Parts: sequence; C-alpha cells; structure tokens
Amino acid sequence: MATLKFLCDTKRCIECNGCVTACKNENASALEWGINRRRVVTINDGKQGEASISVACMHCDDAPCMAVCPANCFYKTEDGLVLHNKDTCIGCGYCLYACPFGAPQFPKSGAFGARGKMDKCTFCAGGPEENHSEAEMKKYGSNRIAEGKLPMCAELCATKSLLAGDADVVSAIFRERVAYRGAKNAAWG
Amino acid sequence: MNKLFKHLGVAFALLFSAVCFANGGEQAVAQASDAQMWAQLKDGAVGYTASKSEFHGQAINTYDLRVLDLRADWLAPALMAALFGMIAIFIVFIKINGISKLHHGFSGKMVYRWSKADVAIHWLGAIPCLLLILTGLVLLAGRFFIQPYLGEGVWAGLVNGAKQVHDVLAIPFMIGWLLMTVLWAKNQMPKMYDIKWFMVVGGYINFGPFKGKHPDAGFANAGEKLWFWAFAIFGLVISVSGMLLLFPNLFEPSRNLSLLALILHGVSAIIICAFSIVHIFMATAMSEGGMECMVSGYCDENWATQHHNLWFDEIKANGTLKYKE
Repeated sequence: MATLKFLCDTKRCIECNGCVTACKNENASALEWGINRRRVVTINDGKQGEASISVACMHCDDAPCMAVCPANCFYKTEDGLVLHNKDTCIGCGYCLYACPFGAPQFPKSGAFGARGKMDKCTFCAGGPEENHSEAEMKKYGSNRIAEGKLPMCAELCATKSLLAGDADVVSAIFRERVAYRGAKNAAWG
Repeated sequence: MNKLFKHLGVAFALLFSAVCFANGGEQAVAQASDAQMWAQLKDGAVGYTASKSEFHGQAINTYDLRVLDLRADWLAPALMAALFGMIAIFIVFIKINGISKLHHGFSGKMVYRWSKADVAIHWLGAIPCLLLILTGLVLLAGRFFIQPYLGEGVWAGLVNGAKQVHDVLAIPFMIGWLLMTVLWAKNQMPKMYDIKWFMVVGGYINFGPFKGKHPDAGFANAGEKLWFWAFAIFGLVISVSGMLLLFPNLFEPSRNLSLLALILHGVSAIIICAFSIVHIFMATAMSEGGMECMVSGYCDENWATQHHNLWFDEIKANGTLKYKE
C-alpha cells in the first residue's frame, strides 16, 4: 500500500494561497466559518531569507494527536492517512496542543465559546462515513481519494510547489528538482 | 617608479581577491539561508499567515515529545491504581486488621463538632469530587481500559457524557475546595504530637507493636492534616490547570502550557484520588462512628475522647463543649 504524504517545496511556493482557496472550495460543505484546514506561513516576511510554506495536517506516521486523544477518535487508513470520527470527538482540544503543525481546529459552539467537534485536513479522503454519502460531505467534505484523485490543494498548486501522493514518488520528484537546481544544501531537512 | 608600480599591482591584486571573497561570501549566505530557514521553522519561527486561526502563524510547534506518551504510559495506569488499587488494598487491610471500634461503645451523647455550613461545603466539594474522579478516569484511562469492551456508539456517548459532567462539576468542586481550604486551615496546623501519631500509624493497627496505642490528636489528627494539606495544594494545582483547559478562550494559554497543565492535572488527580479513597474508607468503614460528623455535624462523646482527645479536653476546659439537644 502507498503511504500518502504532503510535501511543500519552499523554493517554489509564491504565497498565492491557491491551496487554501482550493481546500476551502473543495470542502465547503464541511467547513464552518473561520476554519482553515490549510494555510500558508511566510517567515522573514519582507526581509532577507523570506520563505513561504503551505501547512496542513501532515498525516504523521506516529501522530501525536492520536496519542493524546481521550476519546480515541483518530484512526489511520491503510494509505497512512490520519483521519478522525467527529461523532466520537468530544472537543477537548488536546490534539491541538499536541499537534506540531497546528492542524486541528475547533468551531466555537456552546456556552462560553466551548469547542465544537474538531476539524482538520483529511487529505481529501472524507471520514468514517460511507464514501460520498451526505453525512460524509457534511462532516468531512470531499472524498477525492475514493475517486482515485489526489487532494485539491496540491492538484491546483500553480507552481507545483505543494506535492501530494505516495511518499516515495513525491520525494523522488523533489530530489530530482534539487539535483537539477544544482545548489548544495537546497533541500529541506 | 618601479616600486610604485609594484605597490599598485599588489593593491590591485588584493582588491580583486577581496571582491572574489565577497562574492563567495554572498553565495555562502544564500545557501546557508536555506538551512537557516529549515532550522528556523524547526525551532518554531512565527511568520505571517492570512489564516486567523489559533497558533497558525507558527508552522511547526516545538515541545518535549515525551509528554505525549506520559499520559498513556504512566498517568492512566496510575489513576486506575489510585482508585481500584487503593480500594483493593483497603478491603484486604480491613479483612486482616479489622476496623477501629469504639472501646466503650456509643455513649449516645453527641458533641458539637462541625457547623451546618461546614457539613454543606464538605459535600459541595465531595460529591463533585467523586464524580470528577469517575469521569476523569474515563477521560484519562477510558480509551485503554473501557473502550475495548464497548461499541463505538456506546463509547462515544460515555466519553462525551464524561466530558460534559467533568466540565460542569469543576465549578462547584472549586468553590468547595476554596471554602474548605480557607475556612478550615486554622485547625489543620501541624503540631509536635503529630509526629508521634505517625510513629504508631494513628493507632489503627490492631496487631504487633502498634496494638492498642492511642496517640494524641487535636481537632484533626495527623493523617487528616496530611490529607487536608495535600488536598489544599493539589486542589490548587488541579483547579488552575483545569481552568486553563476549560477556558482556553479566557486565558489563551500556549499549546505547551496546555500540555503541561494536562500532565499536572493528571498527577494531581492521582494524588487526590488516592487520598480520597483512604478518606472515604476511614470515615465510613474503618472508624466506627466517624461518618456521623459529616451527616449531622455532631460526634459521639466516646468517639471524640478516643480519636481526638486533646480537642475534647480543650473544648471541655474552655467551655465551648456543646451537646446535641
């Protein structure tokens, strides 16, 4: 089975926020106001060393959110995606504290702005409901993986900075790019 | 003249090499900045983002990864042990040791010990405390010890119910904790005779060298004082950490502070839970006549002289001794 991953090539990211818009549009049925499953972060903005990177759930191998969830609502798909069951989620926010990437988000609902059910990037793979059912659309958004397609954010990235797919394929593409760029230390990590 | 040309030549050569060095340096800076950029991101650099969501300016948060497994590996089993382990130990202890009987039976004369307000704030804290322990157990250890035996729907209902009850009952618990800590502290100050009390385990051991001992105790005995101050301190820790977790919009804690609060909340819960079990066993099963104190506020005279002799002598001497009508 493939292990699906995102990779953002910061040398190509131009902070157009196309991935953010694509995600919002594709998953509009599930997104409450103010929820951004994906965002672009620019460090050293306007200074030397400016760089932009598109960030969402990175679907970790050993996911911190899964480790801390009291309701145990997360599960891993056979493609290595970290998805969650909103019917089991209790909105405690522990996954937000544990996530290195700030991916989990909570609509404010209930008294004193208590957190609602957590929402995060699904790699456009929906949730535990039946594929393409109304419940899945409403809770989790689109399910492009079930259609054999990749996430909308990466598919619509104008500079092909944001890559999504099998980890081996994605990293091979990136490595080739780095090799052609010819610069030492141009790779991440 | 020849010398001058020589000097100019050297100067030109130096200038050229300096430019070369400068160019080389720039390239090095450009390359280093890539490594720097990743180092910055890994170190938790905060940048600009159009998203208005919490913590979204930071691409990667940094923290000690060990905190993630702490709850699963240590705190969850420890809380199970603090509840069920302590109950098991106490049942075995009472089976072997027997309970602490009143040597002269009940006198029937009831001595005033607690006001109605004291009894009320005790239960204001105590009832939520019991339910917070049980719901907290579901939230901390449920996924390891309970979920495997339930269907997804039943588990979801249970853990959601536990969360709601835990959130709501936190408020009366904190009020009860604050009132008890502030109003009762004056009777809980450590005294020299408390050390002797611990030396004979309070006189509750019915065999061996401790048998038949009756150490001195004031209004509160040394064990009760230990429980009081443990409750005061860890009640404070559990209340503050709980408030951070319950009202993130009000206090806006960082993610790392929230993780720390989560750990401290669990540690405090384990300590308070273990003490609570001891406290409940002492009051209900172990100490004959003890429970009456928190029902009517009065205790039997024989219970007072046996367990709190110094207090009874004191109120008898200063005339504050009051019997139930």
